[in-house]
Amino acid sequence: MGARARKVAFGLLMLIMVFSVVAAGCSSSNKNKDGSPSASQPASSSDTSAPTTVAIEPMTISVFLNVPGPIPTDNNRIYKKIKDELGVTLKEEYLVGDLEQKLGVMIAGGDYPDIISANVKLTAANAVLPLEDLIEQHAPNLKKHYEDVWNLIKDPDDGHIYWLPNFGVYQGDFKPTQHYGPAFFIQRAVLKEYNYPKFKTLDEYFKLIEDYQAKYPEIDGQPTIGFTALAFDWRDFGLRNAPQHLIGHPNDGGVVVDPVTNVAELFESTDIAKPYYKKLNEINSKGLMDKEAFAQNYDQYMAKIASGRVLGMFDQRWNFQQGEESLISQGKSERAYVGLPLVYDVNTTDYYLDRPVVNLNNGFGITVNADDPVKIIKVLDTLMTEKWQKLFYWGEEGIDYHVGDNGLYYRTPEQRKDQEDVTWKQANKADSFYGQMPKLEGNYPDGNADSPGNQPDEFFANLKDIDREVLQAYGYKVWTDFFSAPPPNRVSYPAWNIDLIEGSEARVSSQKMKDLALKYLPKAILTSPENFDSVWAEYGQQVSKANPEAYLNRVNEQLKWRQDNWGK
Amino acid sequence: MVRQRQLIFMSFPMLIYVLVFAYFPIWGWLMAFQKYKPGFDIFDQKWVGFYQFRFLFEDESFIRVLRNTIAMSVITLVLSFVTAIGLALLLNEIKRTGIKRIIQTISYLPHFLSWIIVTGLVATSLSTQDGIVNIVLMKLHLIKEPILWLGEGKYFWGIVGASNVWKEVGWNTIIYLAAIASVSPSLYEAAEIDGAGRYRKMMHITLPGIKPVIVILLILNIGWILNGGGFEIQYFLGNGQVLDWSETIDIFVLKYGLKIGNYSLGVAAGIFKTVVSIVLLIIANSIAKRLGEERLI
Repeated sequence: MGARARKVAFGLLMLIMVFSVVAAGCSSSNKNKDGSPSASQPASSSDTSAPTTVAIEPMTISVFLNVPGPIPTDNNRIYKKIKDELGVTLKEEYLVGDLEQKLGVMIAGGDYPDIISANVKLTAANAVLPLEDLIEQHAPNLKKHYEDVWNLIKDPDDGHIYWLPNFGVYQGDFKPTQHYGPAFFIQRAVLKEYNYPKFKTLDEYFKLIEDYQAKYPEIDGQPTIGFTALAFDWRDFGLRNAPQHLIGHPNDGGVVVDPVTNVAELFESTDIAKPYYKKLNEINSKGLMDKEAFAQNYDQYMAKIASGRVLGMFDQRWNFQQGEESLISQGKSERAYVGLPLVYDVNTTDYYLDRPVVNLNNGFGITVNADDPVKIIKVLDTLMTEKWQKLFYWGEEGIDYHVGDNGLYYRTPEQRKDQEDVTWKQANKADSFYGQMPKLEGNYPDGNADSPGNQPDEFFANLKDIDREVLQAYGYKVWTDFFSAPPPNRVSYPAWNIDLIEGSEARVSSQKMKDLALKYLPKAILTSPENFDSVWAEYGQQVSKANPEAYLNRVNEQLKWRQDNWGK
Repeated sequence: MVRQRQLIFMSFPMLIYVLVFAYFPIWGWLMAFQKYKPGFDIFDQKWVGFYQFRFLFEDESFIRVLRNTIAMSVITLVLSFVTAIGLALLLNEIKRTGIKRIIQTISYLPHFLSWIIVTGLVATSLSTQDGIVNIVLMKLHLIKEPILWLGEGKYFWGIVGASNVWKEVGWNTIIYLAAIASVSPSLYEAAEIDGAGRYRKMMHITLPGIKPVIVILLILNIGWILNGGGFEIQYFLGNGQVLDWSETIDIFVLKYGLKIGNYSLGVAAGIFKTVVSIVLLIIANSIAKRLGEERLI
């Protein structure tokens, strides 16, 4: 190529680039123009009176899901059923890349699908329709479903309902099979070694660990760790939350709340917490405490759990689940954990297992771009009926499950295997969509659980041998049998999700107390036993200097507000 | 003036760039005197005067945080200067270009790792369970039982300094090597004739030759002193036990400003840092001037 030819080629290239930039600029501005007027349109269409029945005329509903695939196949069984019986084609878009960015682009362009996964950004941008009138007038099933929590799901700012929460509204008995929340965990191998003892107190718990560690100072060639805890970044609950459970309270975060008077008090630097940390101090002097516990990061903690040499810890199951799954996949199921609800005093009823709370700002909302919100809410309402709900979780009778003589559903081993097959699920399930849908949770009137995983017999049939051995030794069927059944939640529960208001004194004081806890609790645990009391006293003094009243006042004010506004 | 017309014209885009992106945003400093809430216009905010500054300076942990910042900065600054210049001098003595290149490449590669990865490596190698540092020290019989490096405040500054050196030494060396390359070879030849050995040449030709570069870099770096030798490293390696030694101004601002939604505090701290930096820069510059060295302004 000569010099001239190169120049020409370069010039052409520049020309193309300039054009493409200009073209891109134009096209995006066009899009904006299209987007903005339609944003104001549907407000009027929602006022027009709707057809009285759900006529089966073909309709497409576009959906944005805030999770990445798995994308269902074109001939997916459930989507086909929805199309055949309701006349609705779901045009789904799954998240690719970063959610915040995607939402930002959507909001900037006013380019929304008909229904969309919840996000506070969308509420702030006025992208979604208030739903309460739509539900009252056109959706009896949804209305019935949310009746008990009607005031709770309203936006605290303007009192409208924008989202249909997907989890946390229960009917019938509440009985999960696995507990994902807080507990004192202990290796199954330790329980097995001592013939599956039943116990409730800290002393007995640490006695077992002590004996086991003395007997087996090494596991797989590495020193055994008696008890560990994680206090890294925001995952500080492993260190801070245990005392409230030990006195029989549910997880309220940094406070314990009197269920009768609804008044919160601090427990962290008080006499409620002291016996626990004194106990940890004691086990530290015996060499049971993991000295590195408070200096480790999350990855190190996870690696430690996965190595199978940690005998016990206080944590929430979902926080260390990844490490435990790795243990199981290494074939070390006996090193996996059992959660125990320990208390200070055997006469206290444990309250580790709680009824899930409705998770606000989750689930689907209908956007201002939806052409026919009435029809959409009717479709969602239809999907809320028992028939459809069972189809989503259980599948079709005869194909995905059978009905036993007692009326309870069960699956055959082949059917269970199908449920673990990703490609099969893509063709036969609608998990992503159903994940965001409102759900009938708990038990159906016919006695069946909402999902196979929560059906005790079905759950038991799915277990590994070692799991069954542990449960049978205790005479239990599911893991939650270790815990007391949770009473219905206090209306103001839980305190940990109270908004402390950005930049307020309460936020400052809560952050200060966190800093102090992360500094003084390890110090108190790792110091020599005779120094414990002086470190503890210093901790108390420092906390009282950190303006804890500001934090407590805000919490109490909110608890009261909830009691006044969230009741039926 | 007229003859430089083209040059002046060419520098306009840069000037505009700096005005738009460096000077124009300064009006955002107004936020420091407000209780800023996102989503509202800056003139609709609540004005609080010097409240944010008072919060910063009256908090008893601020002195500690300031101490940590300056201490880690100075440690990092001194260590990185000494090691980078040392490595540059040593590398310069290697005559086989192949080996020199290999050493240089290996030493600057860690620069491209992000701090989250480096701190992960540091935390793992300092672990008491199977960290290589403790293993080596135990094998050498220097210690009897593993040391909990990240659990004791007294080690923290050293760990920060050492990690910084490991990550940046090769990268910092490049500029000195370039400076050394510009020293006239005739000086070395003359010295050799006078009977100077390697060490003498290093001391009397190479070092004085790169002195202007060293001074300029020092002045530039002093301006950054309140950035504490990095923010990420302290954030990722810090934990409750070493809080009194690890928390820097930036972390303090992150915790009590951004995390709890008080953006104004972050701006107030930013202003404080800028003012201190300018003062330090001017002091360093005037000292350089007194000493008759190269200087910035």
